[in-house]
Amino acid sequence: MNVKDLAAFAGRLVPDSRRTRVLWSVSLALSIGLLLLPFLLVLDGKPHADWQQFLGRFHPLVVHLPIGLLVLLPVLEVMGRSRPALREAAEFVLLLSFACCLGALALGYLLAFASGDTGAGVSRHMWGGIVLTLCVLLCVLARPAWSSGQGTRFYPALLTCVLLVLTWTADQGGSLTHGSNYLTEYMPAPLKVLIGFGLLHPKPAAGSFYARHINPVLDANCVACHGEGKVKGGLRLDSYEGLMSGGKDGPVILAGQPDKSALLVRVTLPPDHKQFMPAEGRPPLRPEEIGWIRAWIQQGASPTARQLAGVLIPEDTPELPPHPVGDYSAFMDEIQRMAVGQGAKLVPVSRQPSDGLILNTVDVAANFGDAQLAQFSKFAPYIVEAELDRTAVTDASFAILSTFTHLRALHLEGTAVSGNGLQKLGSLPELNYINLSGTRVTKAAAAQLGTMKSLRHVYLYNTPAQPESAGNLALSNTRSTP
Amino acid sequence: MKQHPLCTDTEHQANVLDLPIPAGLKQAWAALETRRQFLGRSGKVLGWAAASSLLAGRGLIGDAHAADMTGKQSSPFVDLKLPQFAPKAKRAIYLFMSGGPPQMDLLDYKPNLAALYNQDIPDSVRGSQQLTGMTAGQARFPIAPSHWAFQRYGQTGTWVSDLLPYTARMVDDLTIIKTTNTEAINHEPAIMLMNTGNMNAGKPCLGAWLSYGLGSMNDNLPTFMVLQTKTNPKENNQPVSSRLWSSGFLSSEYAGVGLRSGGDPVLYLTDPDGVDREVRRKMLDAVEQMNRQTLAEMGDPETNARIAQYEMAFRMQASVPELTDLSKEPPSTWDLYGPDAKEPGTFAYNCLLARRMAERGVRFTQIYKRGWDVHADVTGVLPILCQEVDRPCYALVTDLKRRGLLDDTLVVWAGEFGRTVYSQGGLSKENYGRDHHPRCYTTWMTGGGVRRGITYGETDDYSYNIVKDPVTVRDFNASILHCLGIDHNKLTYKFQGLDQKLTGPVPANIVPGLLA
Repeated sequence: MNVKDLAAFAGRLVPDSRRTRVLWSVSLALSIGLLLLPFLLVLDGKPHADWQQFLGRFHPLVVHLPIGLLVLLPVLEVMGRSRPALREAAEFVLLLSFACCLGALALGYLLAFASGDTGAGVSRHMWGGIVLTLCVLLCVLARPAWSSGQGTRFYPALLTCVLLVLTWTADQGGSLTHGSNYLTEYMPAPLKVLIGFGLLHPKPAAGSFYARHINPVLDANCVACHGEGKVKGGLRLDSYEGLMSGGKDGPVILAGQPDKSALLVRVTLPPDHKQFMPAEGRPPLRPEEIGWIRAWIQQGASPTARQLAGVLIPEDTPELPPHPVGDYSAFMDEIQRMAVGQGAKLVPVSRQPSDGLILNTVDVAANFGDAQLAQFSKFAPYIVEAELDRTAVTDASFAILSTFTHLRALHLEGTAVSGNGLQKLGSLPELNYINLSGTRVTKAAAAQLGTMKSLRHVYLYNTPAQPESAGNLALSNTRSTP
Repeated sequence: MKQHPLCTDTEHQANVLDLPIPAGLKQAWAALETRRQFLGRSGKVLGWAAASSLLAGRGLIGDAHAADMTGKQSSPFVDLKLPQFAPKAKRAIYLFMSGGPPQMDLLDYKPNLAALYNQDIPDSVRGSQQLTGMTAGQARFPIAPSHWAFQRYGQTGTWVSDLLPYTARMVDDLTIIKTTNTEAINHEPAIMLMNTGNMNAGKPCLGAWLSYGLGSMNDNLPTFMVLQTKTNPKENNQPVSSRLWSSGFLSSEYAGVGLRSGGDPVLYLTDPDGVDREVRRKMLDAVEQMNRQTLAEMGDPETNARIAQYEMAFRMQASVPELTDLSKEPPSTWDLYGPDAKEPGTFAYNCLLARRMAERGVRFTQIYKRGWDVHADVTGVLPILCQEVDRPCYALVTDLKRRGLLDDTLVVWAGEFGRTVYSQGGLSKENYGRDHHPRCYTTWMTGGGVRRGITYGETDDYSYNIVKDPVTVRDFNASILHCLGIDHNKLTYKFQGLDQKLTGPVPANIVPGLLA
């Protein structure tokens, strides 16, 4: 539209007859009314009268009428060039579509008001509807000038706008009822890649951080309402695609922006907040779970990344099921003789020989030193737990213990060990538990434990290596269950 | 040469059977054997196993020996006192809240009750539940909402009463069971059921079954110890008796050994003046010789138990003073347990002892705390009870945890039943009473074998009926045994023609939802 057009249009805006003056006044009042509607009759999120809902639910039905008419309109206008009768019909169709727009708008507003629907998706759709209706009204006003051949391109431009607003508004409405990924869900993969959807939502990789930690948390806490059965707010959290597509209020994850991601915002509200999730009094997410989600969003909400910087979760190094040890039944006599001679005894973990033996020294603790321990080397492959607490063993025991290939738990509490040579235990593939409480083990010595991958339970209570905070008495936050 | 035990005539060693008396009389004499001895003889193998295990100090020798005697040598493990499968917990500590704690004032939060103050509990809720004689005659059953506020705690957001500020700190470690339920409505049958799986006396208790099934982890302290807490005269104390830690028809050596709550922990544990340890040893050797003679003659397994107990007592002369010597406890212990722990007989002291016993290889420790029978003056008495119990429970769990013992120690907190939501006697805004309630009560566990940080089961809005996931006493006990590596259906003892077991003849199930 050029300056000349605008000037001509402005000239025509000045009402030049009583009829047009009335028409313009009514239109102006109607426009102001429509624009003020959301502020006069506020969508308060509460359900209202049933009859209103009853009527409101005809909105999705009625709404297709103006859509059809408005799509028909440009067809008539274009075809009307060669067939003038169509252009005549167009005027009628335009008026009819305006009436239908008003009706659909009223019903839609009634639906939102009566059913207590609120949210960004709803208000976008509502404003779309209002703007669309106003545009159609402008079309009604602008068309006479255009059809009388006054050469302005204002009406065609307006009609294009109408079609664009219509498309956008309809898409918003469709997302409300069907979910935002309804159209693209079954799009052929090559097409998705072409459009960019494929890049947006690649399949999460098995073993990814998402698959191991994000999805299970959502599964346990959210999917009851945001899953296959119930899709509250048009949001599904049971798949990566659903999570990234968001709900009727838009996306819930903004990669790299945890504080702007609705999902994280909602779960970190105070539990009594109206918008707090999980809703309906369900327990809040655990702080570490929130931490994982935050870190995951911060680092790009990737469906494939296996590890996140700064996040180490014990389950990532899963506790291996106990490795069966060999059958020691043949040694039973010898084991018994050892017990008589030593006072320390080898006690089967259970009646299954493959569960191994426990070295129990409680009755002779004070007299059980490295030399006595060495005598048990013969049974090393069968010993899964060594109870050496309060014995006289020293750092020299680490070399002996490093031959106990199936050792899973080692008690050294209250002994004279200082931790010198602890790294020798690094050769024990199954060592899961080590208790050094009440020893002289220093931080530097305890640091040697840091490299042992199988170690899950480390106790350093009452040692120089005991962590500062009273609550956490283990080696580190991530590797132990204090 | 067979001499009747009642014959005290040592000069005349003549055998009765050699006397010129009618054969019928001789037969009758020979049959003068107690039923117990007769039955015991068939159980002799077990007796031997037990005695030799204690005396030789090696469970393996004794039991392998037992297997030899029975000729059942197919597997060297069948007859051992061992877990049937690798256990999650090696030992257990059972904090028994005798009297029946009121669940809705402690852990079973019922926010809606406040609005129902002084309204009668609906008949539909009360159903046909038998009431005790104490409230059955009441004209009304007015709802008494808890006097205390509840808050959410921990990462689990668990509701805990303001009465339990310390327990609140450890909710993330607890397995809270809201739906424990029993069939008994009075103390004695209920407490027997909880401890022995049967309302009638005479059955072995949980601790005895554990001793019998798992044996000892150490030679110098009993396998099963019982600590009683000193009573507080402000509380309504129901009696607890040794029936609760009895071994029933199992050999007496599996019974719980109690430590006294005041004075010497074990009476006559210190040798009298002039008797040194060597003299004591000689005396006990002589007694043992005599007992062995009796055993050879009579074959009564109880004689074995007696020999074992003498030996245990001798060893306890050294081990108990060490156990109860708290002088080497670091200051952090007192910070944790509080000043009460220095006074023998308090619940705090007993909790500290329980931790020390866990360290020293005691398989099962049971602490009895009486006084929970709050029929009246709940607002007066309950704060006292909670003040006595709350912090020590937290201290025990925390102490075990920081010392690395909670991984393989099961801790259980339970009473024999719960209490009614309606008030016994007068109800006012300031005070109320609560009667016994069997249909649901709250217990908790933590430690090795259980899923920590969960609340199991749901009760209705009145904490009167169970809505979801009931846990019967049988299931409760079966689950405890499971944590310790025992299939409750397989730990049996033949008695009175039955394969007796802790969970009794009615089917019981472990509760998978509770177990790690």
